[in-house]
Amino acid sequence: MFKNSIKKVASLAMAAGLTFAASMGAAQSTYPEKPITMVIPLGAGGSHDLNARVITSIIPTYLDQAMIVRLTPGAGGQKGTQEVANAAADGYTLLFTHNYIDMLQQHVESLPYNPMEDFVPVARINFAPIAVIVRSDSPYQTFEELVAASKADPGGIQMAHSGNWGALFVPAAQMMKALDISWNMVPFQGGGPALQALLGGDADVTMAFPSAIAGQLQAGNVRVLATAGAERIYDDVPTFAEVGVEGDVGFMHRVVLAPAGTPDDVIETLGAAFKSLEEDRTFTRMMSRLGENVDIIDSAAYQAMRDEQDVAYKELVKTLTSQ
Amino acid sequence: MLDQFAEGFGMALRFDTFLMMSLGLFGGMLVGALPGFTTLMAMAILLPISFFLDPIVGIPFLLGIYKGGIFGGSIPAILISMPGTGAAVATSRDGYKLTQQGKSRKALDMALFASVFGDTSSDIFTILMIFPIAFLVMQFGPPELFAVLLLSLVIIAATSGSNPMKSLVMMMLGLWLSFIGTDPLGGVERFTFGLFDLKSGIPLLPMLIGVFAIPEIASVVMRNERAKQLAALMGERLSRAEFRRCVRTICRSTVIGTAIGIVPGLGQVVAAMMGYSAAKNASDHPETFGEGELEGVAAAEAANNAVNGPTMVPLLTLGIPGDNVTAILLGAFVAQGLRPGPQLFSDQGATVFAILVAMVFANLLFLVIGYLSIPFFSRLVTIKVSILIPIVIMFAFAGAYVFRSDSVDLLMLVVFGLFGIIARIAKFDVMPMVMGFILGPPMEYAFGQTVAMTNGDAFGFFLGERWGALGILLAIPVIGFLLWRRMRAVAAG
Repeated sequence: MFKNSIKKVASLAMAAGLTFAASMGAAQSTYPEKPITMVIPLGAGGSHDLNARVITSIIPTYLDQAMIVRLTPGAGGQKGTQEVANAAADGYTLLFTHNYIDMLQQHVESLPYNPMEDFVPVARINFAPIAVIVRSDSPYQTFEELVAASKADPGGIQMAHSGNWGALFVPAAQMMKALDISWNMVPFQGGGPALQALLGGDADVTMAFPSAIAGQLQAGNVRVLATAGAERIYDDVPTFAEVGVEGDVGFMHRVVLAPAGTPDDVIETLGAAFKSLEEDRTFTRMMSRLGENVDIIDSAAYQAMRDEQDVAYKELVKTLTSQ
Repeated sequence: MLDQFAEGFGMALRFDTFLMMSLGLFGGMLVGALPGFTTLMAMAILLPISFFLDPIVGIPFLLGIYKGGIFGGSIPAILISMPGTGAAVATSRDGYKLTQQGKSRKALDMALFASVFGDTSSDIFTILMIFPIAFLVMQFGPPELFAVLLLSLVIIAATSGSNPMKSLVMMMLGLWLSFIGTDPLGGVERFTFGLFDLKSGIPLLPMLIGVFAIPEIASVVMRNERAKQLAALMGERLSRAEFRRCVRTICRSTVIGTAIGIVPGLGQVVAAMMGYSAAKNASDHPETFGEGELEGVAAAEAANNAVNGPTMVPLLTLGIPGDNVTAILLGAFVAQGLRPGPQLFSDQGATVFAILVAMVFANLLFLVIGYLSIPFFSRLVTIKVSILIPIVIMFAFAGAYVFRSDSVDLLMLVVFGLFGIIARIAKFDVMPMVMGFILGPPMEYAFGQTVAMTNGDAFGFFLGERWGALGILLAIPVIGFLLWRRMRAVAAG
C-alpha cells in the first residue's frame, strides 16, 4: 500500500517535471506543446476545485502535457470568465465553469463578455442533481405536504440557499414558478452553511447535492423530498418530474469551455482526452469517492443544451424579476 | 470510545506519518512566509498527493501545511511589517517594533511558543469535548453572528489607540471600503463607478501590504539610514523568565481563541484581535502594547491558533466545512473514502482519532522544526538596509500581484501605501480601518440574512426569538463604554 502510494506520488511529480521540461524544450508541431491552464472562476475548496484537482492529476496521461488549475474567483464568477474570454483562442486557456454562471448570469445583469459569442464548449465533465431536503423532525413528510403548506402560507417557509442565482437558488426559483408557490429565500455563503442552517433550525427547507448529504441521510438527520431528473436517485423518493417540475431543472453541469475561435482540431484533441477519462479506472474511482459521477458530453451536444438553457433562464429571470 | 481512541493513538505513531507531516509543516511555513502565497493555495495544489497516500499519512500532511502556514504568515509580519493575512495583523503590531529594537528572535520564538501552546490546548480540548462543541456550534445563526461581530468591532475601536474617536473614524472608513463592489446579498453594484475592476471589491492583500509595509519602508528610507542595518543584531533567544511572564496572557488568549473558534464564521482574525485587546486591557501597563511588547505577540498568536481545534468540529461531526481550508480537508477525507458526518465516529472512530492525535503531534513536531528554523529567518533583518529595502519592495509588489494576478492590484498597493504614509503622519491608526474592512462583509451578510429570515422585521425578531443575540447587542454599549473609559484613564496617566 505504502510502496504503491509512493510510486504514484513519484510518477505525479515526474509527470509535472517532464511537462515542464517539455515546455522548455524544442517546439513540437502538434497541440498541445506546453501546459494548459484551466481557469476556475470560483474559490478554493469548492466542488469545482476538488473535481478539477482530480481531472488535472489524470489528464496528462492523455494529453502528454500538464493541466494547471488557476482559481480566479470574484464578481460571482465573472472575473475568471472574463479572463478566459479575453485570452488567446489557442487552446492553452480553458474555463471550468457551470451552467448557471455560463448561461444564467447574462440575463440578470450586463456582463463584460457575451457567453454565447465568446465561448465554445469543449466537454461537459459531469452533472450533479439537486435534492430538496428537510430536517427529519420536519412536519413535511412528502413533497406534496411541503407544497400544500407553502400554498397555505406564501413566503412563510424559510428556504436556505447558497447565494442569489446560485446552484440552490435557481432550482428553487424554477420550482416556485412551476408550482406557483413562494418561499422566503434566505442566502447563505455556500451549500455547507445552508445545510447547517437547516440542521440548526434556522431554515425549514433547503436543497443539496446527494454527495453532500450522504452522511446526514445515514445518520437520519435529514429527509429527502424530491430529486432532480427523470430517474429516481433514492428508491422511495419521487423525482422532480413526478411532482410536476419538468425540464432541465436542478442539474448543475460542470463544463469546460474554450474561447470562441479556438481551432476545431484543438477542440477535438481536448474533447478526445476528456472522453478517455470516462474509461480511466483511477479517474472514475476517485470521482466516485468524491460522490461525483462522470458523464462526458461532447462539444456539439452540449452546445445544443446551452441553447436550451439560454431560453429557459431568460424566461425564468423575466418572471422572477418582474414581480 | 476509549478503545477507539487507544487504537487511533497507536495508528498515528507511524514513521511515514511523521515524515510527511514534517514535510508539510516545513513547506507550509515557507509558503506562508512568502507574502501573496496563501496556505490555502498550497493546500489546494498539494491536495492530489494526499489522494494517493494512506489517510493517516495524507491528511496529517495537509494539516501540517495548514499549521506551518499559519505560523509562516507571522514571519514577514514580525520581520518586515508585512502581514500576509488578516490573522497576522495583530502580531505585526508589536512584532515589528521588537524587530526594530533588535529583538526579532525573541518575537519569533514567542510567536512560535504561543502558537504551539494555543493550538495544542485547543486541539486537546476539542478531542475531549467534540460532541458538546458540535451542539454549541448549532446554536449560532446569522443573528448571533451579527451581534458577536458588532461587539468585536466595538472592542477593537475602543482599545486600539489612545483616541477612540480617531479609531472609530478609521473603522467607518474601512467599513465603507468594504461596501465597494458587488453587494453580497442582492448582487447590486455599489460605489464601483461602472468600473469592472472594482466589481469584485477591493482585495485584502494589497491593502494589508500597502498600509502596513509601505509606510515602514518609507520611514526607513526617509530617515536615510543608508549603511545601517534595520536591526544590528537579531538578538537573543527568548528567555524562560520572559515566557513565564506571558503564560497568563497565553492561557487567556487560548480560551478566547477556542471560544471564538466555536462560533461558525468568526475565525482567526477576530480571535487574534480579541486576544490582543483582552491582554492589553488586563495589563497594568497597556501603554507598552504597540511599542514592542512581547505579551502582545503572545496574545495574538495564541488566540489565532487556538481557533484551529474547534473549526474542525463541524467538519468531523456534521460533514460541513466551515471555511475554505476545511473544505479542502473535506475533499481529502472523501477521496480517502472517509465521509465526515454524524456516523464517522461510529464507522471510522479509530481513524478519526488517529488524525486528531496526529494534529497534536504536528504541533509538538512544529515546536522543533520552528525552533530550528527561526535563526535562519531572523538573519534576514541583519542584511544591510540598502539591500534589504529593495528586496522588501519587491516582495510587497510581487505579493500583492500573485494573489489574483491582476495588475490593478499593483495600483491599489500604491494607493494604500500612500494612504498609510499620510495616516501615519496625521497620527491615525490604520488597524481599525483594516479590521472594519475585513469584518464588515461578514457582518453585513449576517445582518442581511437576519432581515431576510424575518421578511424585514429584524427588530421584532431580535426581541421575540433571539435572546442570545439580543443579550449581546444590549451588552455592546456597556462594554464599549467601560473599555473607552479605562483606555482614557490610562492615556491621561
